[in-house]
Amino acid sequence: MEQRIKNVMASVFNLEENEIGNDASPDTIEQWDSLRHMHLIVGLEEEFGVTFKEDEIVEMMNYQLIYDTLKNKV
Amino acid sequence: MFDLKYTEILRQNKQLGEALAGTQVYQLTMLSNVITNQLNEILEYSLRSADINAKVNGGDYDNIVQDTLKFSKSDVVVIFWELANLVDGLQYKANLMSDAELEALISKVCSEIDFVIANLKSTSLVLFNKFSTLIFNHQNLRSNNFDRICDRLNAHITTNTGNNFFIIDIDKILAKLSIDKCADFRYYYSSKALYTIDFYKAYAQFVLPIIKSVKGKAKKALIFDCDNTLWKGILGEDGIEKIEMSGATKSGVVFEEVQNLAIELAQKGILIGLCSKNNPQDVDIVLSDHADITLRNKDITIKKVNWEDKATNLRAIASDLNIGIDSLVFVDDSDFEANYIKENLPQVSVLQVPANLYEYPKLIRDNINLFFNITQSKEDLKKTEMYKQQAQRTEEKAAFNDVESYLRSLQLEITVHANAPVFTPRVSQLTQKTNQFNLTTKRYTEADIENFINNGAWIFAFEVKDKYGDSGITGAVIVQIDSETKVAIIDSFLMSCRVIGRNIEQAFFDFLIKYLQKANVETINAQYIKTYKNEQVINFYDALGFTCKDDDGIVKNYQLIADNYKSNNIDYIKVNYGTEN
Repeated sequence: MEQRIKNVMASVFNLEENEIGNDASPDTIEQWDSLRHMHLIVGLEEEFGVTFKEDEIVEMMNYQLIYDTLKNKV
Repeated sequence: MFDLKYTEILRQNKQLGEALAGTQVYQLTMLSNVITNQLNEILEYSLRSADINAKVNGGDYDNIVQDTLKFSKSDVVVIFWELANLVDGLQYKANLMSDAELEALISKVCSEIDFVIANLKSTSLVLFNKFSTLIFNHQNLRSNNFDRICDRLNAHITTNTGNNFFIIDIDKILAKLSIDKCADFRYYYSSKALYTIDFYKAYAQFVLPIIKSVKGKAKKALIFDCDNTLWKGILGEDGIEKIEMSGATKSGVVFEEVQNLAIELAQKGILIGLCSKNNPQDVDIVLSDHADITLRNKDITIKKVNWEDKATNLRAIASDLNIGIDSLVFVDDSDFEANYIKENLPQVSVLQVPANLYEYPKLIRDNINLFFNITQSKEDLKKTEMYKQQAQRTEEKAAFNDVESYLRSLQLEITVHANAPVFTPRVSQLTQKTNQFNLTTKRYTEADIENFINNGAWIFAFEVKDKYGDSGITGAVIVQIDSETKVAIIDSFLMSCRVIGRNIEQAFFDFLIKYLQKANVETINAQYIKTYKNEQVINFYDALGFTCKDDDGIVKNYQLIADNYKSNNIDYIKVNYGTEN
């Protein structure tokens, strides 16, 4: 699952997968603005076949939180 | 594209972008009053998959009117104007408005639309979405104020836009996909993003034929197999009385519809042909004598009915019609033939008759946009006839020993029109469709042609006529003049493949150079830009006596001192002077 998340993040932020660390957040990734966050959510929903609730979307603001949210869902 | 996830599209789009790097960039600008950023890369991907090096950028959020000024030079401007966000919450506020408030709003938006139209009047192509209430109102039995605003604004767009605007009926996209699959309200209230990835994919697919047409990538000919493709049954086995294509029989009705779809295309200038393994005499008898056939010889431009393999026949069809093999669409019922063509001629689009015959007319209809043509001209309507005259000429040519006495017998005449706006659509179309006899292959929309004229360039369009008939406007040149330095620059010179091989270009250049000299032009600059289709004119300017100044393998730059021009003196082509503006 870690790899698939990082893969989606890399596509959305236009980075290489190895540039996405476990500490990835809007502080470490310059492109991670509210617009790209929306793209990221769409990408993750397609990749894992899930739909996030509004409060989850607001919550998932770094790699670790994304991982935790997804782990509870799939 | 529908089987790809959004992130896969992002990745593949990046790769396609790298593969197309260095080719001419096609710039699109997306202007919207809602967030539509995800469309940018999906649209890029869709266009890049068609070998168009598209770059899509967006204007500022909800700044459509001002941004039309800033981005009017883009190749394409896409206007994504969301009705519900004209005023925050219009979907409910409209229904609480008084008549006076409603009128005030409509008139304000109409004047904004007028600004947009004025600001983009010189833009090559504008895709303007029709306003829609479907996402909010599809359950309302009675129309309300929100619908009323929508209808009035759409009427305003339809009556006031010029022909560089193409109006996109997004209701058709919403209907095809279903409204619930198109809208995602999670982001609408927080971020003003309304549409789903599926909608954007469908949108990109819906507009693709328009841009392909502008870029000269539309298909030109539809070629049918015969048995179980034009009619039900096998002519050689079942016999002429057993094959079916009549609306009165269960299987025949499907083929009757397909034949009529083909006739409709023929009337729009798409070339219809046959490529089948049959005895040619048998097929000819069906075409001329079968009581139920609707597709007749007059609609069919070319027939390759023989026992050779179909790849050879399709190649021959493309070469006889003087069009690229990638301009063909081929329909056949057989797995073997369909796969054979897919493998041997991957540039040809192959449609296979479905096992469920009732799906066959839908297959043709679903693919009709392969032939979509953004500009239509009177030349399109006569095309089948003109290609037949061409066949007659070829036949007669064989009877002459040398080309010149054949050309003398044709009684050739050309009529040249200068800057005549009535021919703008046709000149634009010629730039979009001509691939072989095209020196620079620059594609122009009608708005581009108008801009040339407005900026002082000269556009000469010429008609070609001979004893067999009139080919209509089949050649054009765009010349920019610098009266101070007395230099003329030939931006484009092209001729339709229908009039190639008759020395028309030589007679025309005799006329053109004389005309330019009279206008005090001393030097003429011209260019050849190599494409994979215009090899036949690689030495065109050399033959006319131009000097090649440089040649990097792709672009050749030429110059001619007008006084040094040696006339070709073609006495068997009469040159008339037509309209001038």
